[in-house]
Order: sequence, then structure tokens, then C-alpha cells
Amino acid sequence: MVAVAANTFRETVRERVLYNLVFFAILMTLCGLLLGQLSIRQDEKIIKDIGLAAMELFGHVIAIFIGIALVSKEIERKSLYPLLAKPLSREELFLGKFAGLGFTLLVNVGAMAAGLFATLLVTRGEADPALLKAVFAIYLSLLLVVAIAMLFSAVTSTALAAVCTVCLVLAGRFSDVVRNMKQVAPGVPDRLVDFLYFALPNFRNFDLKDKVTYGEFVPWHVLGWITLYNVVYITVLLGIGLACFRRKEFQ
Amino acid sequence: MPQATATDAPLAAPAVDVRDIAKSFRTGHLRPVYRPALRGLSFSIARGEIFGYLGPNGSGKTTTLKILFGLLFPDRGSATILGHPLGSRAWRYKAGYQPEHPYFYDYLTATEYLDYAGRLFGMGTTERKGRIADLLRLVNLEPVADVPLRRFSKGMIQRVGLAQALINDPELVFLDEPMSGLDPLGRRLVRRIIMDLKAAGKTVLFSTHILSDAESLCDRVALLRGGELLKVGALDQILTLDVSHLEVLVSGISEAALTGIPIRHRVRVGERLTLEVDEGRLGEVIRAIEAQSGRVLSVHPIRQSLEEFFVKEMGGAGRGEAWD
Repeated sequence: MVAVAANTFRETVRERVLYNLVFFAILMTLCGLLLGQLSIRQDEKIIKDIGLAAMELFGHVIAIFIGIALVSKEIERKSLYPLLAKPLSREELFLGKFAGLGFTLLVNVGAMAAGLFATLLVTRGEADPALLKAVFAIYLSLLLVVAIAMLFSAVTSTALAAVCTVCLVLAGRFSDVVRNMKQVAPGVPDRLVDFLYFALPNFRNFDLKDKVTYGEFVPWHVLGWITLYNVVYITVLLGIGLACFRRKEFQ
Repeated sequence: MPQATATDAPLAAPAVDVRDIAKSFRTGHLRPVYRPALRGLSFSIARGEIFGYLGPNGSGKTTTLKILFGLLFPDRGSATILGHPLGSRAWRYKAGYQPEHPYFYDYLTATEYLDYAGRLFGMGTTERKGRIADLLRLVNLEPVADVPLRRFSKGMIQRVGLAQALINDPELVFLDEPMSGLDPLGRRLVRRIIMDLKAAGKTVLFSTHILSDAESLCDRVALLRGGELLKVGALDQILTLDVSHLEVLVSGISEAALTGIPIRHRVRVGERLTLEVDEGRLGEVIRAIEAQSGRVLSVHPIRQSLEEFFVKEMGGAGRGEAWD
């Protein structure tokens, strides 16, 4: 599994798209710097805001794009045939890919966070360590996106997996809308609304950007809860994905 | 190398033992139709032999290999490999597989890919380095060892495929159309490697539809058509002797001197002439040659070629099958 994870990391690092996205994320942070100079006393907040938003946006694009490609591309190009013929179980292959991509995202988020901190240090002479809480939450949400992408890529084609992943991530980001359905559409059974609300991955849990940017304290137990939520949700998604991948036939 | 083989199977067990394996594929969504791809195959391969798995395209060769390696699941039947059941991980440490039309990660070099393959077998760094150097030399890829695979030709990729199948020094090697995409030199190289594997006591199963390769390499062959085994056995047993016609090798006689002698076909090779004659007229031919001061060097019944056998047995390719 370690060998698969290491090769996955090497693959993603050698993808030029990845470099471009990191470059863009850093560019966005620099844009924030420029905007900050145009505002009075708001520069720090704008830099934090744009930096974290860019980190989240580009992280999601990377997670969706590569999370789907990693498994479905292997199936379509048949590059996993010689791998599965070796003493490597499907479980090890699947989880190894997840671990490799998780490490890639860690490196990327780390690089983007370093860029944001460097920008703040240069412009303000200080950087708020509380930002790391928001960065951590973003990283957790990216792992969840990868798990969703890998689940869909194990059960369907690349294109359909991309559509399904984007839809589920968007639905998860607007899960409050689902909860408000009780008021908007009273005819819909409450149980169905509750089921949908709790079944969808609630990405709003991971959104600590505003709180951190505006100096609001984020208690440690909140980070503990979202970590637990993340671990449980990812375990379920990977479990379903693995069950499908184990039964998959490679014609 | 950690060989998860604490329960090594007895050496007496055949290298491969396939029992009644059947597989069908579903086509269509609204009204699914199940198209049989394999119809109850049974055969076994002894240790140390080169076994040719022959048949036209679409006859089920690759499907069989995919079932053995767990890429497809059989509808029924079972198999053991090196004495272990199919689902066991133990035999995989001792087996190698070269898939048909392989695709490897094009961002890796040949060295990196082989290193990755070696790590999957749990080989140590020093062992991997030595083995990779040996294999790259074996398949003549040493000069391009550090070139990304995306720059490799089809034939070079095929040779990487063979090298990765041998990374663990396997006892049993499965090669799916190993000559595909190779130039004459590459084919010769692969033939030599297969012969070297046999000399080292390894078992080789290779599937092909190139009959001359099978004829020159295999101890035994299985002939597959439409998912069914038509014949399994040694080439000498399968290919019948055509005793109605004889091949007579003669020397010391010119072609002009053969005028009037009842010969079906003649081929000159240097000083010698190979004549094909009807069995009933052999005495007449020999007397005529001796009368012309020629020498009869040998007389053999004509052996059917594998290609002739195939054409006769199959009457052309079956439905959904094609000979290239």
C-alpha cells in the first residue's frame, strides 16, 4: 500500500496541471495583496479572505480532477492489470491511491498556506496562527471530496463520476437549503428532508474562513468534532467504494 | 523477498490446473443478453513446460488469463496455480504476467516502473537494483533505462511488459500475445527469452494467434475456438502425419534429369532437392533417381503444419473471431 501511495504522489506531482493550480493559488494570494493596498485597514482581512478562498477553490478542483482520474484512468487505460496480477489486493490499491492523493493535497495545501503566511508576514509583519485552524478544516474537506470522487470513479465512467462528484459536493455546500425545504416546501415529508440533510456531506461544517478572518475564536472541540465527522464519513464512502471496486470486472 | 508461502504447495501439483471454467458477458441494458465467452474449459499445465494457448482473436484466450489473475470472475469452475487456489495470494509471489497491449505509467521511466513493480513484491532495494539492471539488459532497454515511457515505441513498451513480468524471477510466467507489436529482432529476442526460461526450469504459458511462434516454442498447445477447447496436447500428437504423401530428400541429380518422374512438388536447396511424391509411386521415383545416378538421402511422411491443422479444424474463424 505504501508503494502505491508513493507512486500516486509521484504521479500527481508530475502532472503539470497540479503545478498550474498551485501557481494560480499563489497568484490569487498576490492579488489579495494588491487589493489590500488599495483598501484602508482592511488589507489583512482581504488577504486572509482571498487566500483561504483560493486555497479552498483550487484544492477542490485538484481533489475532484485527480480523485476521479486516479482510479478511472487506471481502469480505462488498463494500467492496473499488471498491478493486480502482483501480490497486491484491490483494497491495498484503492486505499493506497487515497493515501497518496491525501498526501499530495497535504503538500499542496501546505504550500498554499505557506504562501498566505508569507504574504501576511511581508505586508503586516505578523500572521495569525489561528489561520491554521481554517487551513486544517479546508484540508479535511478536500479529503472528503477525494473520497467522494473515488467512490464514483469506482462505480461509473470518468465523465459521469465527475458530474456526480461535483453535484454531491455542491449539494453538500448548500445543505442548509435542504434543511430550509421544510419552510419552502411544506409538502415534503420531514423525515425525507432530515434524511437528506444528514446523509449529504455537510461541507459547511468545514467552513471556518469567516470566523478566522474576522478574529472569532474557534474552540478546539469544534475541530475535534469536524475531524470525527470527516473520519466517519470518509470511512463510509471508502467502504462503499471499496465494496464496488472489489466486485468490479475488468473486461 | 517476503514470499507469503509458508504453506508451499507440493511440487507434484501441476503449474496450472483449470477445471470447468465458464464465463459469459452481459450485453445490452434493457434486454440483457448473456454472450458466452468461455464454455467449461478444463486443462492443466505441467511444471517446466512451454504451453501455447492458441486461438483466433475473440476466442477467449485473454478472458482465461484475466480470470486466472482475478481481473474477471468466472460464472463457474475453479483453478489452482502452483498448487494454490485462485484466490490465494501465495502463488502470485511466484508468477509473472504480461498483459496484452500493456499500458504503463508514461510519466515513469523503465527503471522507475520496474522498481515500482519490484516494491509490490516486497523486494529490498539492493535486490531490486540488481534485478532491474539484469532485466533491462535482457530486453535490450539498457540505453533507454532513464527515458520516460511516453517516448517508447509499442515494441519497447512490450519489452518493458516482459521485464516487469519477470521482476520477481517467477516460477510461472503468463504472456498474453507477447510478440504483438514487435519487429523481427524483438520477436527473436522474446523467443530466446522464452527458451531460456524453459532451460531454467520455469513454466511458460503464452497465448498467441501467431502459429509459427507456437510451433517453434511449445511443448504442448491448447486450441481454443469460440470459448471451447478443441484440442490439448503435444504438437506431435495433434499434428497428424500425412502418410499419403512423402518428402524425399535427394542429391547428385539435376532438375532436368527429373523430367518424366511423377513428382507433385520440388524445392531446391543448394545441392539438394526436396521432392514431394505420392506414397504409391515412391518405388518408381527412387528407381528413376538411382537410374540418373542420384542419391536418396531420406524419406519422411509429410507432417501437417500447425497452420494447416488450424484451417482444417476450424474451417475458418468462428463467429466474432478473426485471424490477423
